[in-house]
Amino acid sequence: MNSTRKSRTLTKKKPSDHLSPATRGASPCKIDGDSGRKIKLAAIHKALLSDPVDVATLRKLAISHGGLLNDELRRKAWPKLLNVNVFEIPPKPDADVTSHRDYHQVVLDVNRSLRRFPPGMRNDQREVLQEQLINVIVRVLLRNKQLHYYQGYHDICVTFLLVVGQDLAFALIEKLSTHHLRDFMDRTMDSTKHILNYLLPIIGKANPELREFMDRSTVGTVFALAWLITWYGHVLSDFRSVVRLYDFFLACHPLMPVYLAAAIVLHRETEVLSGECEMTYVHSLLSKIPQDLPFENLISRAGDLFVQYPPTALAKEARLQYKQSSTLSKHDEFEQTSLRQRPDTILRQRKKGKLTTSQLKDINKKEHSPVVKVAIWAITASVGAALFAVLNTAAEWM
Amino acid sequence: MEDKEESMKKDDGGEDILSSIESSSKQTRIFKIIVIGDSNVGKTCLTFRFCGGKFPEKTEATIGVDFREKTVDVNGETIKLQLWDTAGQERFRKSMVQHYYRNVHAVVFVYDMTKMNTFEGMPTWIEECERHSLSPDIPRILVGNKCDMNQKISVATSLAQKFADANQMPLFETSAKDDNEVDNVSAIFMTLAHKLKSQKPMMSNDYPVLHKYGSKEMKRAKVISIGREPSSRSAVCSRSTATSDGTSCSC
Ligand SMILES: Nc1nc2c(ncn2[C@@H]2O[C@H](COP(=O)(O)OP(=O)(O)OP(=O)(O)O)[C@@H](O)[C@H]2O)c(=O)[nH]1
Ligand SMILES: [Mg+2]
Repeated sequence: MNSTRKSRTLTKKKPSDHLSPATRGASPCKIDGDSGRKIKLAAIHKALLSDPVDVATLRKLAISHGGLLNDELRRKAWPKLLNVNVFEIPPKPDADVTSHRDYHQVVLDVNRSLRRFPPGMRNDQREVLQEQLINVIVRVLLRNKQLHYYQGYHDICVTFLLVVGQDLAFALIEKLSTHHLRDFMDRTMDSTKHILNYLLPIIGKANPELREFMDRSTVGTVFALAWLITWYGHVLSDFRSVVRLYDFFLACHPLMPVYLAAAIVLHRETEVLSGECEMTYVHSLLSKIPQDLPFENLISRAGDLFVQYPPTALAKEARLQYKQSSTLSKHDEFEQTSLRQRPDTILRQRKKGKLTTSQLKDINKKEHSPVVKVAIWAITASVGAALFAVLNTAAEWM
Repeated sequence: MEDKEESMKKDDGGEDILSSIESSSKQTRIFKIIVIGDSNVGKTCLTFRFCGGKFPEKTEATIGVDFREKTVDVNGETIKLQLWDTAGQERFRKSMVQHYYRNVHAVVFVYDMTKMNTFEGMPTWIEECERHSLSPDIPRILVGNKCDMNQKISVATSLAQKFADANQMPLFETSAKDDNEVDNVSAIFMTLAHKLKSQKPMMSNDYPVLHKYGSKEMKRAKVISIGREPSSRSAVCSRSTATSDGTSCSC
């Protein structure tokens, strides 16, 4: 518990000049005026404090315009979205991090990740964080022998480190790595390839002409590889856009980054179609993401695509054996358990042993409440009718 | 040799593939060169140096494949060299980079002169090429990078030369970082360009010809006669490490 507190203070002191809500001016997060923002802030707080935590609402708020609004709230909400108990963060493993088979590669990549840190940050501060980043990554790998490091994993981890600090980052990344990112961390990248196989079918459903053009160019899907396996952390220079997308992804199905990729490609339809129908040309065009993309619109579009063309409808064409993907097959269970979480006030007491047996009984009763129906999409005025689909989370997402 | 179109992208080395293709009105042959080797040997820096003229201060791990391009003049012919900068980590080469071995015209193998293990990894990379059944006629060169770190060199030139000879490749030792090596880096890629230009008669689908998109008359590839190229500067298969002037690399 202590270490969690410490790390919070640390992140607050160090990178937060750049990360603090005050500098959010340039971000795409714009809620309709101050009052809209205040209402949303209150809603997020309320969802966090209810017992069990209102994860369904939290998800909607993370998806809807502006996401979770600031890093203070992200520190509280991200653990809930991932069902991580911030009061029971696993201790550091004793093993020497340098002994891990991937240690060397992690160091090479973290050393080259200067661009992922706030531009104005002093070198010595950045070096401390880089050291922490290496440690966090290797600790996760040490505790989960089945996970293999890939170049780009560090781009995801750095985002968590900068927002929540090293100890909590460890817990969140561990959960993420055994769920959302699990397929990327196989010994080979075959599963990653399968996931990428969803991309062209989604584009094809929404815009057959564009799909046909892309097929003809033999561009493949590697242009979107870095998007997918880094959750866009590797390709976007504006940190505010990155954390906004993480709000979205943490609240959604693990395939959502692919749907966003489709939304981005569809958004650039005219550019693609008016260019050369040739592999390197299309690859170069698409792999360079414009930094001024209208992310809020694209997020809506991605959700729209998800509802219109859910993974099951595409699985055949994507030739993805759903059950063989650990990320996707485990998502059911992840969904279910995430919906039954205590707020921090209770978790803290429980950790301290302050709860009486009758209180615990009460809590347990609530744990068996019926599966909550979750609107997977935040219903906002700007969103099309397709998004009104309210799905029974676990049953229909798969 | 003279380099045309110095236009550079802000965040990426080399010409903008997109604009250069669009603005290219006359036919230009493109040679596709894949650059492979272990992670961190400097593939991104080398290709950036050649195409963009600078050593990139902040490179990042390459995820998948990046393309960089440079238009060069080889004995009066304007040629586009398209460098395919690939990810070095083993997992990428197995399933992701595969796709890109098709249709390449040349291969550049890179190792880090200060890291013996990256040199020892070379046979695996050669096997990799063989697995993708690249024709043995395809020009291949071996590049030892980071010769500027002269205190830390751990791969002796003689050792590398032996390996290069055994595999019928020319060896170059250079540095993407050292500004004095710029000419050497260019010479390496120009050597390939000369070799490629002089190599074989042209089939239009072997070497794609750029055309302006949308223009009605799609220009066909000129059939290049197999005339001999002035070969004096070509270092291909020569023993020594070469530069454009034929002098040895000083590092
Ligand atoms: N001293 C020195 N350092 C170099 C040279 N070339 C590259 N480097 C450094 O070596 C590191 C790796 O360079 P990259 O070009 O990113 O390596 P890469 O081969 O593309 O690596 P992957 O993308 O992981 O496959 C960077 O930190 C560069 O600054 C060189 O000629 N001399
Ligand atoms: Mg690279």
